Amino acid sequence: MKPENQRLTSEQVGSIVKMLGRTTDREFNCNECLQHVSEFAEGQLANQPVHEVLSKVEQHLALCPECREEYLALVKILQAGP
Amino acid sequence: MTQNEINWPAALRATDSGEQAAAVRALREQLQNGLRIALNGRRDVSEAHLEDFAQESLLRVLDRLDQFQGRSKFTTWAQAIALNVAFTELRRKRWQDVSLDALMADGERMTEPAMMADDVLGAEEDRQRLVVTLRQAIENDLTPKQRAAILGELRELPFDQIVELLGTSRSAAYKMLHDARRALKQRLHEAGITGADIQNAFNI
Repeated sequence: MKPENQRLTSEQVGSIVKMLGRTTDREFNCNECLQHVSEFAEGQLANQPVHEVLSKVEQHLALCPECREEYLALVKILQAGP
Repeated sequence: MTQNEINWPAALRATDSGEQAAAVRALREQLQNGLRIALNGRRDVSEAHLEDFAQESLLRVLDRLDQFQGRSKFTTWAQAIALNVAFTELRRKRWQDVSLDALMADGERMTEPAMMADDVLGAEEDRQRLVVTLRQAIENDLTPKQRAAILGELRELPFDQIVELLGTSRSAAYKMLHDARRALKQRLHEAGITGADIQNAFNI
């Protein structure tokens, strides 16, 4: 890649800032998110309130595009039904 | 008995080999059907891929059977694992040519003005102050690997690819990124930049 293509865009700088805004001292990592994401997905589809543990899933999904991609795919499967 | 009524963990552990084999077949089929729904429309996924992903997922689920705690349906839990297996492999293929050296070199250049697009450099005063503080924090407070990891995230490299490039575990890589984000956040805080400043500067 040439340097011209490597410049940080306004959008990317904004992304860093957004990431920092969502950063807390204690977060779930991807493995911890995976352990709880099935419960979170079922709860979301049932409109259940998000308790403390699941709020960490929610926070991780806001920060991690890959876990978010997998979560949305899981919701798609659940919505398709058995 | 419907699939929802099956006690999957018990069936998958059954000592009766016939019962266990039937449960394994049923679960593999269910995982593959779910993956077909989730990955529908992707040109890089064939039916053969779905079979491979389902088989690999099945092995992963059987390996982690003791970790299932019953907080969700078993099949939802297993499907989440299957999606992780499939997406991880698809991302790995897409980004397999990126090198750590290139990422670290770019990470070193993150603090150079030339790395900032013109609309960032020419922004209004509040935004410029924020960007300058951020650049200084990236330069002074982060290690080269932390800079590379942050840059990797910005370029939407898959996390597993960042893990592989850094030559570390997922947990260690996530901690590295988390520590980096906390350090940058602390620096903005010390510079008196508030959440409101950030919202105003970036319309978020």
